[in-house]
Amino acid sequence: MNMLGNILNYQHFPIYAIMVLFLGSFLIAAFGENRAVRNVLALLSITAALGFAVALVKPVLLEGEIISYWMGAREPAGGYAIGIALEVDALSLFFALLVATAVFVSGVYSIQYMNRDHNEKEYYTLYLLLCGGVMGMVLSGDLFNMFIMVEILTFAAVALTAFRNTVRGAVEAAFKYLVVGCMGSTCILVGTAILYAQTHTLNLAQLAQLVPGEVNTATKLAFALLFVGFGTKAFIVPFHPLAADAHGAAPASISVIISGVLTKSGIYGIIRITYFLFQSMGLGTVQFLLVFIGSLSMFVCVTMALAQHDFKRLLAFHSISQIGYVLTAVGLCTALGVSAGLYHAINHTLFKGLLFLAAGAVLHETGTTDLNKLGGLAKKMPHTTVLFLIGAFSISGVPPFNGFASKWMIYQASYQKAVESGNIGFLLVTIIALVTSVLTLASFVKVSHSVFFGQLPPELENVREVSWGMRFAMGIFALLCIITGLFPNLVTAYLTEPAAAAVFSVKPYIEAMGFDGSAAAALEGGSFQCVGAWDPVSWLLVLCIALLAITIVAVAGKYDNVSRCRLSTVEDKYQLFYGGEKQELSQLGGDDLFWGFKHNWRAYFNYMHRLHSGIVNDYALWAVVDLALVTLFSLIVL
Amino acid sequence: MILLNYIAAFFLIGLGMYAIVTKYNLVKTVIGLSIADYGVNLLLISIGFNPGGTAPIFTWSELDYNSFFVDPVPQALTLTSIVIGACVTAMSLALVIKLEEQYGTIDTRQIRRLRG
Repeated sequence: MNMLGNILNYQHFPIYAIMVLFLGSFLIAAFGENRAVRNVLALLSITAALGFAVALVKPVLLEGEIISYWMGAREPAGGYAIGIALEVDALSLFFALLVATAVFVSGVYSIQYMNRDHNEKEYYTLYLLLCGGVMGMVLSGDLFNMFIMVEILTFAAVALTAFRNTVRGAVEAAFKYLVVGCMGSTCILVGTAILYAQTHTLNLAQLAQLVPGEVNTATKLAFALLFVGFGTKAFIVPFHPLAADAHGAAPASISVIISGVLTKSGIYGIIRITYFLFQSMGLGTVQFLLVFIGSLSMFVCVTMALAQHDFKRLLAFHSISQIGYVLTAVGLCTALGVSAGLYHAINHTLFKGLLFLAAGAVLHETGTTDLNKLGGLAKKMPHTTVLFLIGAFSISGVPPFNGFASKWMIYQASYQKAVESGNIGFLLVTIIALVTSVLTLASFVKVSHSVFFGQLPPELENVREVSWGMRFAMGIFALLCIITGLFPNLVTAYLTEPAAAAVFSVKPYIEAMGFDGSAAAALEGGSFQCVGAWDPVSWLLVLCIALLAITIVAVAGKYDNVSRCRLSTVEDKYQLFYGGEKQELSQLGGDDLFWGFKHNWRAYFNYMHRLHSGIVNDYALWAVVDLALVTLFSLIVL
Repeated sequence: MILLNYIAAFFLIGLGMYAIVTKYNLVKTVIGLSIADYGVNLLLISIGFNPGGTAPIFTWSELDYNSFFVDPVPQALTLTSIVIGACVTAMSLALVIKLEEQYGTIDTRQIRRLRG
């Protein structure tokens, strides 16, 4: 009985959460020939991982305990951490919860989504390997272990990108991702090696104790290497083309993981090195670095998304654009900023997951994701349409969905930072964030028009709604989108504020592992209160009243739906899908909805198009240039 | 001379990156990745080196305060890194074979269906 109690002690749960995923992967590789066995094993391991993560919420998130776990009970000897450790504070658990949720929903979706593919056994083996890698990375307390997990997840992600290797560009995307991803991993390893040479430890807590006292040329170089290395995992600029390629080719359930989970692991790594290892976030220059790259990612990726005509590729660029929001908010280094960033990280996982699953549903039924070949699917797939619209509203920040709450907090955080620091640059960040949000909405108008509304092409007459299992998975994400949108107070109080508090408490993080944290930099996050007309419930009421009013007017005024929609030949040029000169009306493809905008900005778009050349050497060069610039920057300012 | 090791390590990493950036042959890209990886391995093993130290393999009775050996941790890291490097090479070569089948070339300038 005592032994059972020992096994079920929550101190062991972090390692269980990692182990069940890897165990599931290996068992499926060994015994997964049978379909039923495979599905049961996969469901069991993702459910168990979710269960272990949720069971840790009470002690870690609510009571603020930091779990330190030495593998094989090899505690530090002589003041040096020899053994491998797991350390779970509120920040780690926050990301672990995100991972577990996304993995669970995407796993449920896969079971029916992948049923037309061969090699399902290999799919689940790699899928669980990928999930285990991310889970291990966010729960690890050891820098080298983080690197190992990063490698595992990169390999699994590359293999899964090329999984449908007959899809156009799948192998090509996988190869580019592998090359640049491995350059990033090499950067992380060199950074780790340099830090080990300087401090003779790999334990994160002990590094956080020793590194800030040893800022010299070598550790500055290590900072740049680690930053760029984790940047490739988060796909922030200049690594965004890889994300676009990988998402477009990978199965939708994998896009959910790459976009919702893998990028978060990169963000997690960046938070760990800037706030914990180097404790350099107090410096305005490091804040500038994060905010600058974040804002650049936001704007560049949203404009790239406007020019896309592939459903999933477009979503991929939006994904990185939203990651830019997260990075910017985290880089503000205020309690409001970090809280807003983490809140947006939750929302990003949820709405991006929902959108990718909806794109996957469209692909599963129609066999294409080309916006010009799709249209009018709302009649054939009504449930998917509604779920997609919830996701689209969420990502565009329409109240009362979840994107609104977190974006509002980000606007407020950057504005307050501008007021407090007197730096006009942060005001520019607010403006970029607002403009990006508008462009996001614009491009989702385009997507919903060209996929779900408009005319149904004749070859899509036989399309049917997707199976209940896929709708169920999308429904979970949609429900979570609405819940996190309607109750931001609960989300901030129970999830993001404990995690944001953990970001600002380096000293307990060091001391939980038994090291001396007295020298840790004391960063003050401060407290915050959201201001302005941001209460989502009142916005929901406004929305309901407006909808009611429109319905009453339409019913009372005998709104004639049919005659409204009939095109008159004279007025063709005023229709949304027509353009060109008066004499030569030409029908526009769904993806050319904003042709005027693109025409006026053609210099910019042509330049960007040339820049994203698709040649792997160019992307590698960007990585090297990025590394050189960040190195130069950190040598000067750190 | 340990300094030479460090110089050589960073030279190899730089050489690998140079090959990845400038070579248009996919196999050469893979070779570049491997060279960079060797550089990292050399760096790791040099970090743990103590001039005059013995191999870090002892029984309890042999180990005392006069034992002088090289740092075993970087050796463990190097072994891991070598394994990972082998995986990278195997996987990227597998992808190169697939690319050659699908595109009929291994020139990176012609493998760019995904762009813009």
